[in-house]
Amino acid sequence: MKKTIPLIIVIVGGIIFLLWVFVPHKIMADDFYYEFFTPWARAMAPFAALLGVMSLSMMHTAKIKRRAPKWQYSYFFFAGFIITTLAGFIGGTQKGGIFMWMFENMAMPMSATMFSLLAFYMASAAYKAFRARSVEATVLLLAAIIVMLAQVPMGVKISKHLPTISQWILDVPNLASKRGIMLGVGLGSVATTLKIMLGIERSYLGGGE
Amino acid sequence: MNIFERIQKLDRRWIYIVVALAIILPLAIPFNSDDVTSPPTENLYQFIDAMAGRQDRAVLMSFYHDASTMPELFPMEVAIIRHCFERNIKVFMLTWFPQGAPIIDYAINTVKEEYPNIKSGVDYCNFGYIPAALALPTILGMGDNIATAVKTDAEGRKVENLEIIKGVTNYSEMNLVVEFSGSSAGGTWLFYARPKFGLNIAVGVTAVMAADEYPYLQSGQMIGMLAGLKGAAEYEKLVDVFAAYREPGDPTEAPRMENGNRKALGRSFSSDILREESIKELINITTQTTASFSPTEYQEFIAKYPDKTAIFDNLKLEKDGKIEIDVTKISDAEAEELGHTAHADLKRMTHNIIYKFKVARIGMNAQSVAHIMIIVFIILGNIGYFIQKARQAKQQ
Repeated sequence: MKKTIPLIIVIVGGIIFLLWVFVPHKIMADDFYYEFFTPWARAMAPFAALLGVMSLSMMHTAKIKRRAPKWQYSYFFFAGFIITTLAGFIGGTQKGGIFMWMFENMAMPMSATMFSLLAFYMASAAYKAFRARSVEATVLLLAAIIVMLAQVPMGVKISKHLPTISQWILDVPNLASKRGIMLGVGLGSVATTLKIMLGIERSYLGGGE
Repeated sequence: MNIFERIQKLDRRWIYIVVALAIILPLAIPFNSDDVTSPPTENLYQFIDAMAGRQDRAVLMSFYHDASTMPELFPMEVAIIRHCFERNIKVFMLTWFPQGAPIIDYAINTVKEEYPNIKSGVDYCNFGYIPAALALPTILGMGDNIATAVKTDAEGRKVENLEIIKGVTNYSEMNLVVEFSGSSAGGTWLFYARPKFGLNIAVGVTAVMAADEYPYLQSGQMIGMLAGLKGAAEYEKLVDVFAAYREPGDPTEAPRMENGNRKALGRSFSSDILREESIKELINITTQTTASFSPTEYQEFIAKYPDKTAIFDNLKLEKDGKIEIDVTKISDAEAEELGHTAHADLKRMTHNIIYKFKVARIGMNAQSVAHIMIIVFIILGNIGYFIQKARQAKQQ
């Protein structure tokens, strides 16, 4: 019963949404989707957010209680969560308030710093690991150099043909491989979806079956 | 240990120092450079520009990212909003991310500071944060009626009562969405809104995600793309060359026509203009302080301000048949006498681009140096690798 009911929900839900996509009838398009599903989805969204906040708070509370590794950082979660929430509720989220000040001067630079570290790792990896060890690696290396040069104004000064060559690399070999990957992923998704809908694939229900 | 072995085992901290310098120095010392515009950027620009001045057309911008990808995506957003404000194009914004809401506010405020006549609810509308769980109902709902799918804007006003929504019902009018993200999130619009409503879709993505979008561009499912900081720099350039361009005699504010549309100032996109040498003075990212006119242009310019002619004549200098006015020489008293509109109009004639509208191009200078430096690193690493390999083979 513990597995049969969720399985029935998944199968029925899957079939309904499949019909909704392929059957442009009023019952599916208006009565089901707009009259039934949309108001329910709207009502559920705040509960999902609440569930997220509760789950995160419980996880960090437990971490502090158990003195789990790096438990001290959990206090930063609570401090950040409470201060940001209060700043938003009290001062509003518009420019001029504490919330926006914190966003502009703390959240933005910190997040951008984390992302920009990528440049350092890329440079280091390019130097240490990007070797023309085989024909394939040499082709990849040359393509990378052309595309990198064509991306920047200084590269275009070296040769005005670089952007055309770079665009060809992106439009032809890159596109062919991307399209192949996407077709593979698409077919795999369809196969997995069918397996789930037909009850063949049940690993998402937990257990070892 | 010989030199080649040393090159192979170079401490990564040296690489980090060189990368840091290669990025910091060009950012601190801007220099003029020209970003060649690519077809995906030009297509998007032209599509948006075709809506100039029209009351029955609008663009929707979806901010689906947080602060981490802002260095690449934010300049694109600012450039598109600026394009819309310059050319009187209605623009709507929304985000499916809670962290995206302040980014929308920040982007609007960044541009709006320079456009005092632009009004919320009239020229632009921010729908604010809509939970991702409601993305599908909202995307499909807007295909029928925007004001029904999104009932209130971020300021709590009923969307159906706003001035901007007049003439805009669904995707037939708001027929372009530009999704900004560091992922392939643009796919949601592509899978649901395009097949059902024929909505035109474009994306602004981080450079690492750009290659993933090419299949959609080639098939025509996406009408354009801004790829990373380069895409942003290209769009900034197009806005400066076309949308923000003013002839000296152009009015400062676009008059409204009988059918409700507004005359769009600036000029339309042209590949020929992009190839002209004269555009170089429009895209300089170094500080420009001199407004330069031919005698006819000067007469056209001052004709707009007949009561200020004496002040302009007092400020002008004649040089090689050109009339020049250095805006740094204008005293506070003269600026006050000129008034805000005339002073701002004169400053626009210097073609000086304020920092926030050239951020991507300054960043591209840093990227230029960083790319070349990484290429040098790759070449050095390979030279060391092959020489070392040859030596080892000889020794065996």
